[in-house]
Amino acid sequence: MEIMRLVVTGPVGAGKSTFIRTVSEIEVVDTDRSATDETAELKKKTTVAFDFGRLQFGPETALHLYGTPGQSRFDFMWDILIRQAHAYVLLVAAHRPHEFRYARRIASFMNQRRNIPMIMGVTHVDSPEAWDPENIAIALGYLDPQTRPPIINVNANEEASVAQAIIALVQHSMQSCPT
Amino acid sequence: MAINTAKLSSILQGFVSATNDVQGAALVTPDGLPLAATLPGSMDDERVSAMSAAMLSLGERIGQELSRGGIDRIYVEGNQGYGILTSCGEDAVFLVLASEAAKQGILMLEIKRAVNELKTVLV
Repeated sequence: MEIMRLVVTGPVGAGKSTFIRTVSEIEVVDTDRSATDETAELKKKTTVAFDFGRLQFGPETALHLYGTPGQSRFDFMWDILIRQAHAYVLLVAAHRPHEFRYARRIASFMNQRRNIPMIMGVTHVDSPEAWDPENIAIALGYLDPQTRPPIINVNANEEASVAQAIIALVQHSMQSCPT
Repeated sequence: MAINTAKLSSILQGFVSATNDVQGAALVTPDGLPLAATLPGSMDDERVSAMSAAMLSLGERIGQELSRGGIDRIYVEGNQGYGILTSCGEDAVFLVLASEAAKQGILMLEIKRAVNELKTVLV
């Protein structure tokens, strides 16, 4: 059995923990604590170490999903998790444009450490204030449609939608590093 | 009633200066923000706080998954000293950094005392 480790990252409240909870076949290992910083305005609980979920992908591959904390004070966890990863997905909430710059910072943190395949998952696209994925890509600094990572809309609460994102990530990863 | 942060800081300072071989201490929220800290100069409050919260939450999770029950403390022993995390009520985590010369029995007793004192300020 081959194990593929995927990291789910992104700003606070992008839907990382929900993403993993939605598809994991095992009970998710979470490390949620009550939020006391500005996170509390968005949600009650926040991840302080990581989330872990597992998903069987075909007969020969098991996917291990690791969700990072969103706040940069936990960047030592970003570092630990990305070093083990085979690919990662950056989740970005389409309706919170003030976080795009921060999302870009997370991506460059990851890219500085590892050169691994990544895709961008855009969440909260059903919100009236949601930005168009094209524009989000530009805001994140991916100007050239030829070279930018694949972008996919994700509803973190919907199993089919999350599964689609994961398939896109695995496919992208296989295309980028053919074995 | 508001938490008396000056009191928390003075308890920590007293603890660090009065206890032999203790090099630093911090009181942090379970989601990793500093409440009060007296740390060696090279260490950053925010980072230390986040690490303490991550470690305690993982430790508690390990206790649960591997049937070790509730966690009293988490103990990191390196060749240059100790890092000891103790839960301090619902809303705080207490981290103590001590040198390798520290006597563990004394350390544990002193930590227990400090935690009790800190708890009275936090309620």
